[in-house]
Amino acid sequence: MEEVDKILIHSLRQAGTPVPPEVQSVRDLTPELVVEAAVRCLRAVRPALGAPLSPLLPPGISARFRLASDLAAACQELGFGGDVGYQTFLYSSEHDTRRLLLFLVEKLPRDESERGAEPPGKSGALLRAIGARIQEQLGTPWVPPACRTARLQRLQGTGQLRPFVTCPLVLPQSGGPPELQEYFGGAAPPVPAQPPLSVGTPPSLLEAHATQLSARHDWEAEWGGPGLASRLPPQEYVGRKRLRARLRALEPLRQACPPRPQGPPPGPLDPAWLQEAFGAGGVGGFGGALPKGSRFTRTQHLTHEQDPQILLQQIQAAAETLHPSKSPEEDAGARRAGEEAALEETLARLEAEIEGCRGEVRDAQLSLTQAEAEVRQGRLVLGGREDALRLKARAVELLPDAESNMAKLQLVVEASSRRIVSLAGQWERHRGPLLAEYRHLRALRDSAQLESSRRLSEIRSLHERSRSAAAEARRKEELYKQLVAELEALPRDVSRAVYTQRILEIVGNIRKQKEEIGKILVDTRALQKEINSLVGKLERTFSVTDELLFKDAKRDEVVRKAYKYLAALHENCAQLIQTIEDTGTIQREIRDLEEQIEGETSAKPPASLDRILSDCRELREENALLAARARHA
Amino acid sequence: MELSAYAQGGWRLLGDPRCFPRRSYASLLRAAFRSLLDHPHAGLDDPDLKDIDPTVLKHCHAAAATCILEAGKQNADISAISTCLEDCKLDKERIEQFCTEYQKNKDALEILLGSIGRSPLHITDVSWRLEYQIKSNQLHKTYQPSYLVTLNVENSDSGSHPDVRFSCTMEQLQDLVGKLKDAAKSLERATQM
Repeated sequence: MEEVDKILIHSLRQAGTPVPPEVQSVRDLTPELVVEAAVRCLRAVRPALGAPLSPLLPPGISARFRLASDLAAACQELGFGGDVGYQTFLYSSEHDTRRLLLFLVEKLPRDESERGAEPPGKSGALLRAIGARIQEQLGTPWVPPACRTARLQRLQGTGQLRPFVTCPLVLPQSGGPPELQEYFGGAAPPVPAQPPLSVGTPPSLLEAHATQLSARHDWEAEWGGPGLASRLPPQEYVGRKRLRARLRALEPLRQACPPRPQGPPPGPLDPAWLQEAFGAGGVGGFGGALPKGSRFTRTQHLTHEQDPQILLQQIQAAAETLHPSKSPEEDAGARRAGEEAALEETLARLEAEIEGCRGEVRDAQLSLTQAEAEVRQGRLVLGGREDALRLKARAVELLPDAESNMAKLQLVVEASSRRIVSLAGQWERHRGPLLAEYRHLRALRDSAQLESSRRLSEIRSLHERSRSAAAEARRKEELYKQLVAELEALPRDVSRAVYTQRILEIVGNIRKQKEEIGKILVDTRALQKEINSLVGKLERTFSVTDELLFKDAKRDEVVRKAYKYLAALHENCAQLIQTIEDTGTIQREIRDLEEQIEGETSAKPPASLDRILSDCRELREENALLAARARHA
Repeated sequence: MELSAYAQGGWRLLGDPRCFPRRSYASLLRAAFRSLLDHPHAGLDDPDLKDIDPTVLKHCHAAAATCILEAGKQNADISAISTCLEDCKLDKERIEQFCTEYQKNKDALEILLGSIGRSPLHITDVSWRLEYQIKSNQLHKTYQPSYLVTLNVENSDSGSHPDVRFSCTMEQLQDLVGKLKDAAKSLERATQM
């Protein structure tokens, strides 16, 4: 019964009755608590029935009776089969209260379990959150922007939205060149104060943070993939990648930019400068900048050649062509157009002249290189002829003493061939060990490479594993959070677990008891069998003895006496057995009666009788008071 | 919630009791919230922060402000913030301090973040007028009713209140009303999820 009571009280607590923790069984429930629990259950089961009833027991006795009778009627309407009346609530016996409360708890709606059937998971939670938010917004009336409180501002938005405008931030940090440190420590404003407008602070900070995060993610992806495969330290890898990107960016630039015939150009289109600019600034946006820049340089070239008057005009013209929208409207349109046309004409003429000059220069340079090539060729031819001349002169010198000179030459030739052979031997001597060493080193290098590639694959697998572990951890964290949220949404599940555990415990207990009962039954049966066999033996022994004695009794006086005693003994023993059996039945009856007495005392008849009497007295007093009041009135 | 390396570095310094004693930590947190929510040019001139290296101070200030904004942007709960800050070696007490301060200022932070961006116009009121066309220069007799509708609009981007006026026939107006009812109904359906 205790388990049932615990479950019952747990359910009552869930239905909203504040049952104090020291109450452990239905026996400890006061009438106030019973009434409150019944009303709360009724309200949960059928609000129409429970709403007019008060969960608080009123102090007046007649009001108490009325409430209890109403409650009893409501319970009967719900379909409670047992006997129920005001006494069930006010002078409750444990048994009746338990039955009534069990019935009410059975009837409680299981809305929590219905809620558990909703689509679980993230999308369900999100949809619910959206629904709750919309409901909240629908529930509040519209308020003009100026009058919104903080809560309304969160619901309906602030009066004025600010655009997402960011500005680059300087982030102070220890380390780096001392000048920078001096700036950070002294004049640099705090980061939130850096944007010129205060509305730009949050967007700028968010943007800076997002940039750093995405850069880190990019770098991790890069280093995890091709970075590791390159077998370079990170700095070197970055440097090489930057160089490659710069070269790739410069290639289209070189193609787009015509080769300059002049010497080092003074303009900003210096290739070195370009290289610097694009090396630092990345690849983007060079296509549009190029023609503008070249026009600008052309204008600059002009300024070097023209006198200041024209220079001024040119600059103005350039400025106007570059920024036509900037010129103010007050200028007379026609005058401006004329001026513009004249200037453009001048510009076109000058450009044509420049082009002509450039062509001439190019021609001249071409012929210059041609001439230089011719000169070089001529010099080569000259050198060859001089060599031939020297050879022939030596031959002519040696001609007079031809024989001895031939012999000398032969000697020289032989000596040199000998020297060649000895040198070859020496070379072989040196070459052998060097070759062996080379082979050895090559083998070492191969093995080192093998080792490094093995390590590399190990590192890569480690990377992979760590990444997958991190992903797994993140997923599990998500799952955990989601499950916790679901668990919080389903408090019913906990009680269900408790229920099942208790039911299992009860079932175990019952099984144990059943086993014991079976054992006792077996014992009883064995005992019975023994008794039966003993009774049979007794009968047989008695009949045999009886017969023997009866035969001898006719002749012998002593035996007749013995026979009489035997008969008396038998009868007395039968009486004794009968008495013992009677005692057993009486004891059983006594036990039954004791149980009944216990049951009656547990129903607390004297206490409830006292209470009924005192209530009756109070009721009489109340009635008298009311009658007196009525008489007064 | 994830913090960048710069912000994590700042928080590591903030979690170091040699670098930031408790009072300085609390006043730096206050300064960070103040600079985001009240006026960004509020300086770091708290007397508790006098003894700290200004570079470190500015670094930590930026890190704290970033973390506050990021937490507000992600609508992070206390557990997410604590995990993130535990990664930066902060002790329990400081994390708790940050969380209480964050909870205190969460509403203001949400309003601040909600005020960034753009939104379509909000209709605040409608007035209408029924007119009856008798004839026009193309048609000798038209005899048609038409509605002139003016929508009073609130523009949260610029704060101005331009009105939207249009005229429509009866059927068009009915169509409009039907669509608006549909929209309202689907909103209510969304609340019953």
